[in-house]
Amino acid sequence: MSLTGVVNSSSGLSPTFAAELRQRSDEDLEKLFELRPDLITPIPADISALAARASSAPSLLRALETLNQWQFQVLEVCAVLRDPFTIRQVVALSDRASQEVILHLRSLALIYSDGASLRLPRAVRDLLGNEPVGLGPESPTEIDLKLIDKAPAGAKAVLEKLTWGPPRGQVGDIRKKGTPINWLLDNNFLIPMDTSTVALPREVGIYLRGNKVHSELVPIEPRVTGVTTKDSDTQRAALASISNTLRWVAELLNFWSEESPSARQSGGLGVRDLKKAADHLGVEESCAAFVSELSYLSGLLGLEADGQIIPTTLFDLWQNKEPEAQWSELVSLWRATSRVAGLVGRSESRNLTALSSELDRSNASLIRNLTLDLLLANPGISASLESVKAAVLWRYPHRRGPLITAQLVEWTLREAEWLGITGGGALSPYGRSFLEDEESLGINGALPKPVEHIMVQADNTAIAPGPLTIEVARMLSTFADIESRGGATVYRFSESSIRRGLDHGHSGEEIRAFLNRVSKSVIPQPLEYLISDVAKKHGRLRVGYANTYLRCEDQGLIAALTADKKLSHLSFRQIAPEILICDSDSGELMEELRGAGYFPAGENAKGGVINMPVANRSTSRAKPPRVIGELSKPSSAILSVAIRTLRTGERAAEKRPAGQMPRSTANETMDLLNEYLGKGVSLRIGYADTNGGVSLRIIDPLSISLGTLVARDHATNAMTPFKISRITGVTTA
Amino acid sequence: MTQGPLIVQSDKTLLLDIDHPLSAECRQAIAPFAELEKSPEHIHTYRLTSLGLWNARASGHDAEQIIDTLLKYSRYAIAHALLLDIAEVMGRYGRLRIESHPVHGLVLISTDVAVLTEVMRAKKVAPLLGSKVDDETVTVHPSQRGHLKQALLRLGWPAEDFAGYVDGQAHAISLNEDGWKLREYQRLAAEGFWHGGSGVVVLPCGAGKTLVGVAAMAHAQATTLILVTNTVAARQWRYELIKRTSLNEDEIGEYSGAKKEIRPVTIATYQVMTTRKKGVYAHLDLFDSHDWGLIIYDEVHLLPAPIFRFTADIQSRRRLGLTATLVREDGMEGEVFSLIGPKRFDIPWKEIEAQGYIAPADCVEVRVTLTDHERLTYATAEQEDKYRTCSTTATKKNVVLALAKQHEDDQVLIIGQYISQIDEIAAELAVPIIKGDTPVREREELYAKFRIGEIKCLVVSKVANFSIDLPEASIAIQVSGTFGSRQEEAQRLGRILRPKSDGGGARFYSLVARDTIDQDFAQNRQRFLTEQGYSYRIIDADEVLPR
Repeated sequence: MSLTGVVNSSSGLSPTFAAELRQRSDEDLEKLFELRPDLITPIPADISALAARASSAPSLLRALETLNQWQFQVLEVCAVLRDPFTIRQVVALSDRASQEVILHLRSLALIYSDGASLRLPRAVRDLLGNEPVGLGPESPTEIDLKLIDKAPAGAKAVLEKLTWGPPRGQVGDIRKKGTPINWLLDNNFLIPMDTSTVALPREVGIYLRGNKVHSELVPIEPRVTGVTTKDSDTQRAALASISNTLRWVAELLNFWSEESPSARQSGGLGVRDLKKAADHLGVEESCAAFVSELSYLSGLLGLEADGQIIPTTLFDLWQNKEPEAQWSELVSLWRATSRVAGLVGRSESRNLTALSSELDRSNASLIRNLTLDLLLANPGISASLESVKAAVLWRYPHRRGPLITAQLVEWTLREAEWLGITGGGALSPYGRSFLEDEESLGINGALPKPVEHIMVQADNTAIAPGPLTIEVARMLSTFADIESRGGATVYRFSESSIRRGLDHGHSGEEIRAFLNRVSKSVIPQPLEYLISDVAKKHGRLRVGYANTYLRCEDQGLIAALTADKKLSHLSFRQIAPEILICDSDSGELMEELRGAGYFPAGENAKGGVINMPVANRSTSRAKPPRVIGELSKPSSAILSVAIRTLRTGERAAEKRPAGQMPRSTANETMDLLNEYLGKGVSLRIGYADTNGGVSLRIIDPLSISLGTLVARDHATNAMTPFKISRITGVTTA
Repeated sequence: MTQGPLIVQSDKTLLLDIDHPLSAECRQAIAPFAELEKSPEHIHTYRLTSLGLWNARASGHDAEQIIDTLLKYSRYAIAHALLLDIAEVMGRYGRLRIESHPVHGLVLISTDVAVLTEVMRAKKVAPLLGSKVDDETVTVHPSQRGHLKQALLRLGWPAEDFAGYVDGQAHAISLNEDGWKLREYQRLAAEGFWHGGSGVVVLPCGAGKTLVGVAAMAHAQATTLILVTNTVAARQWRYELIKRTSLNEDEIGEYSGAKKEIRPVTIATYQVMTTRKKGVYAHLDLFDSHDWGLIIYDEVHLLPAPIFRFTADIQSRRRLGLTATLVREDGMEGEVFSLIGPKRFDIPWKEIEAQGYIAPADCVEVRVTLTDHERLTYATAEQEDKYRTCSTTATKKNVVLALAKQHEDDQVLIIGQYISQIDEIAAELAVPIIKGDTPVREREELYAKFRIGEIKCLVVSKVANFSIDLPEASIAIQVSGTFGSRQEEAQRLGRILRPKSDGGGARFYSLVARDTIDQDFAQNRQRFLTEQGYSYRIIDADEVLPR
């Protein structure tokens, strides 16, 4: 886009922001929408509405966030200058390279042009504040800057203090004669703000800064530096991490399937449960929090209505996928999520827990992607944290929280390492393939093939010399405890572990047969003895599940009940001559019995017992957390629709008969009024009266205060207050 | 990634697949820095510990070498964090050094001022240090050298000890290899110890630990103090020294309950060293009575606490610990490490067996079914009497008698925990018994008769757990033991592991009462041996008992 060739408004006065937007070509508007997609969600009706949205604070903040540090510096320089200003002025205060940036800022509609010169929309100025880059207000009078050299020593010190901002300072009493302050005030090097505050005028500030605005300009992104790494090392480390992460997720969920934790009352995973999970996985708590968040994001983990945290059926599906599919699923969700696992359990935010609703951070995904982009752009080195932080902060000098930005970068790097996107700090081939959206990542081939056999040893341990197939691992873990994890798994058989296997419904014979089938070595005799010893003792005491019992001394009646066809659906079981049990609850059973013509009476007794543990699954549908992310880049189809809509809106506006009431948006109104205040220019305004009627007034605006415009009304030739909220539109007369 | 024999686990254990063709090579490569934890039949487990890594660093290996070794033999990719951790841990060693300063004597030096400041501030370390010489040096009282090393180790900043050892009073000792030769592993063990300065050598029972001690003495060429478990063991040491070295009777003294001789080579018992008179350890002065060049701790896994305390004070003397089972039921392995020294040599029992230096052993667990009456007595016994009740049943005694009859042609040892029980057994079998109150002379006599085959069967209490050399015993029957003690089981097996003159094997019977607490203890007891690759065979007592 060029800055010339923009037609000035016919009136010869400077155009409004909306007018300039109206002049933009379709391509320029398309570009604007691409850069600021929020402007067309939803699509505005016409250019006025577009201008209003583009100068609204939330949209502007978004736009400002897309600027890198250098672009922001140029914008700041623009803010220092008075409207209208020229590129030459901007270059003089910054650097030649700023020309390019100005084009970009104009594409973003953060500045607009009126042909030869440039302007900053009022709302942008407001956002950047009254004292951009710590420079004070413009001086109302001419200043002889050469006099500075003659300033007394004390005065020079004062100037030095104020040079780099803040530009205001407190003094005892500015009326006191003979002081350095007094000298400065006399020579206009300071402006009195009130009786004890002085300010350094903008011109003086710029002069003292050596005719610059910033102490240091950063037109070039800081380089990401680090240690050069060997590709083979990177790949190896990444593979280890990938297999670890997949193992962690599976193990955590299997663990929680057996022992589901309950969410805290305020939501989220309790600190103690997190610690337990970390111990189980053999990792640090921060890592366990990350793994649980990862499972949660991908819907492998559900939060039940009663607060139970258990795996969903998606977990079963996930487990049956190839490792590459498992991994990409986790990583894509991680990349997009607004949830920040790193926040969990930090000392300053002790109450933030994993899986709670407080982990969303609006810029998390943006910074994560910026960090990943940097990794992608700097392959083959293990980037130092500091240099990545510096580069991200340059790309995203988010003025609301550089601290959280730096932390997000740190967490992103840590998590990328856990995930195997990096290996030993450098981008891994898998991470690269993933970030470049390649079809196949090559993980399946690189990870060790699952093994189906184990080695049982005389010390009652069994070793799986590689990742086990799910079936074998699942069966084995029911009756053996895991002693050591990693590339291989070491299982230990003990009395309690065998008992657990029997509790799961496997017989001693089954366990032995299974071991004989999967073990490459002969089953040592002591283990066989152990299994049969436990099996022999197991089940001598029987515990069963029943909701209700029926007791009756009349065995005839008991026989009648069991034979009664009307009651057959209750499936009574007789456990003693006088006792029947069934699974229905007592109320239900009583009703059924009464319905069938019996006369039961309740008995004061306790109910059923808890059943043996089974693999619990959430019954509700998986509801992974919503992603609060950045708006994505609009598709070309949407862009063209947006432009068509706007053009139609404009044509409709043009067709309105001339002489109609002027209409402009609130922002435009304010812009225009501010523009022409006290300049002796006449404006036409539409003014709504208390009855809802709109009348046309021709006025000369004089001042604005407290939402009221004071202007000379041509009709009455008197100073009249107008409520700004009632002004429906402004045009130049 | 190779198809190597080693699997590196995330908990820092290393699994070595010994059926892999590269396993022998790999074992040699990882032995310097990884500690062998167990060696059952297929997969051996090693562990990377801070101590082990520092140890390796002390003997000149660096982190890069170790990481290279792991990468070379690893079957699967190794997590980067683990490798970083190894480098980090190893980097901690040597930041602090203990040196002899020409002016200030013993000093702690660090070129890393932050580390020195950190340790000087630590509560446990501060009182052990003297005045600050400069930013990098602080004085240490010579008597605190051991304590300081212990405390620094606990803080995770192990000090490298450059202060060296005193040579002690020189005394010529040479091996007298006449008709015998030091075995390869014994030589390696002695050298490993000597290069390391101080430390522990772990060899199976019957594999000739005494000779490692003797070889170490020949290296030291200095006066030596040998600490042993009891008088009988002391006499055996004396016998071996005379037979295997240039030392003669007059050069070797015995310091025990009976005699108090201090000679260039003195053999003392733990018992006399820890005897207190009016609350004072009267005999600990023995450590100072002579300018010892070497102190040997036999059966270091039994070292009593007072000797630990004293050992902390004699860090400038070379110390050699000998044991078959570096398992302390009191969990004081760490103390052995920091005070005697790290493990300098270790070899799986099965490997020595394969070399033919110890007899192959057949371990048999005999499951004894109690009679209904006995079961009832057991079920109603008080909790603290349960073990005693089930391990001293009449049924067990009958099984012992039957086994003894079965092996009447072999040299049989019957070992038990409860005196009344073994008294009964000895009486029924009409064989001699050795227990705590048997005088030393009588014990020696009985052992001697047993050695030459005059006595075929001997009943012993736990006094015979250690250091008793009975080459021809081929059968051991354990009636009862000290609860779940792992090292006791191994030591008892050790009694019969000396290679037999006929090249035959040994058999170890352990009697276990079925469905009682005895069975649980037995499982724990067997753990050390199963981890060493021994596999128990279980038989039913009915197979033994006469029908």
